[in-house]
Amino acid sequence: MPETTRAPQAAAVVAESLSKRFGRLLAVDDLSFALAPGTITGFLGPNGAGKTTTLRMLLGLAAPSEGRALVFGSPYAELERPALRIGAVLEATDFHPGRSGRDHLRTLSRSVGLSDTRADQALRRVELEQAAKRRVKGYSLGMRQRLGLAAALLGDPELLILDEPANGLDPEGVRWLRDFLRDFAAQGRTVLVSSHVLAEVAQTVDQVLIINRGRLVTESPLAQLTARVSGSVRIRTPEPDRLQKALEQEQIEISATNEHALLAHGTSSERVGQIAFAAGVPLYELVAESSSLEDVFLQLTAKEQP
Amino acid sequence: MIDQIRAELLKIRSTRTTLGLVAGMVALIVFFALLTGLLTKAPHLVTPEDQRGLLNVGSIAGLFSALAGVMLITSEYRHGTIRPTFLFDPRRSHLLAAKAAAGLLAGIAFGLAGEALGFGLGYLTLTARGIPFALTTGQAALTVGGGLAAVALWAAIGAAVGAIVRNQVGTIIGLLAWGLIIDNLLFAFVPSVGRFSPNRAENALEGLTAKHLLPAAAGGAVLVAWAAALTIAGILATARRDVT
Repeated sequence: MPETTRAPQAAAVVAESLSKRFGRLLAVDDLSFALAPGTITGFLGPNGAGKTTTLRMLLGLAAPSEGRALVFGSPYAELERPALRIGAVLEATDFHPGRSGRDHLRTLSRSVGLSDTRADQALRRVELEQAAKRRVKGYSLGMRQRLGLAAALLGDPELLILDEPANGLDPEGVRWLRDFLRDFAAQGRTVLVSSHVLAEVAQTVDQVLIINRGRLVTESPLAQLTARVSGSVRIRTPEPDRLQKALEQEQIEISATNEHALLAHGTSSERVGQIAFAAGVPLYELVAESSSLEDVFLQLTAKEQP
Repeated sequence: MIDQIRAELLKIRSTRTTLGLVAGMVALIVFFALLTGLLTKAPHLVTPEDQRGLLNVGSIAGLFSALAGVMLITSEYRHGTIRPTFLFDPRRSHLLAAKAAAGLLAGIAFGLAGEALGFGLGYLTLTARGIPFALTTGQAALTVGGGLAAVALWAAIGAAVGAIVRNQVGTIIGLLAWGLIIDNLLFAFVPSVGRFSPNRAENALEGLTAKHLLPAAAGGAVLVAWAAALTIAGILATARRDVT
């Protein structure tokens, strides 16, 4: 079972048996987790896994069918001026096309009594000051993503919740976002960032929360997830059964990929080569898999299919 | 609350939509004021009742202030800004009250502009044609003041209906269908009920005295009641529903 950070008192974000039902569809199914302050968590799962619905409940936009969603110990809507503690971006397109980027930010900063200079600071922080007075209509997708981020930063929050922030970004934008999030977290703040592509967040996050079909699949430090992958070895042999037996005696986890090929997990090609040699099994091919987290992610999320 | 109202007023000012509505309002008022003022034969512009029809042209502003009110909420749903808006102020009833207040303020601005233009053009036309002004000061004040109040309340009604319906086009079509068709049929066939409609209450408030209309004060009270009831319905509807 996933190891859970049990710190409900101090946790920045808590889901307690959270469920959301849309008619007959159970979009989020008894989801529980807690995020410690100062961590960057990747919230992962395939499209339709229930990530956005979970985030909406955390942010008070949707009511849970069951369970509770807490931010800093309270439901979002019960926090006093939550925008000063929590910044969030759910959609990259939440702007009036005819309003300038700066005016968009000013409508938000004013609503919580912040001065317009906060809007200008936020624009500088996301490097949009050049486009501040232009209408959002003329912004590229990357600029819109950054404007959304600027809105989330207006209140100088200690927690940032972003839904698929890398969607539609070019590689440069993805790198910019990564640097930005690292910088943000380096100040001891907390980030929850969702993605359906593990690789997008793998270089940024400390821990991952993987969900599929509304249910929690894994909650673990990224390192633990990486360990599951790093030592995969692909083997082609005319005698897969004998090799499998030999490897299993050495406590090496095996999965067969086809008739003549095996995949050994948590080991190295050197070790597999020696075991095969000792067992007298000929090898046609022995490849240390450089692939990746993405495979583990796909395995984890595919496993849950009925 | 003041902060939210300021934010909502900035939303109204910071797109060209409002400018378009003001331009449309001015064009329509000028058109109808000149049409009525110049084409109506002099003998039909003598009584206070006749002149009121001309001088009340400014209340067309109510259509545009209602649209401004509708935009205030439906454009947030249409463009998704409702999400950041609610993130910054998750107390939705509070936010809707701020929108209603900002709508009323914008409505007052529409009303002042519309009534000044409509009454001014009407008065100038009468003067230019040498027709004596027939309204007492009290009647004139009721026409202008009642019109101003009605235009302001229409903005709140527009915002409230927008909060209930949420879909921009649906809200506008619904309000137009009500104002242009249903309300007229209702008043024509069931005037005892129809006179309580917001549109007829407005007519009463502006001092019109057509058959079946309520007295001015009652008309004002009915229009305020409509705005208040719809605002409460809008707040309740918004509080309960998820934002997708």
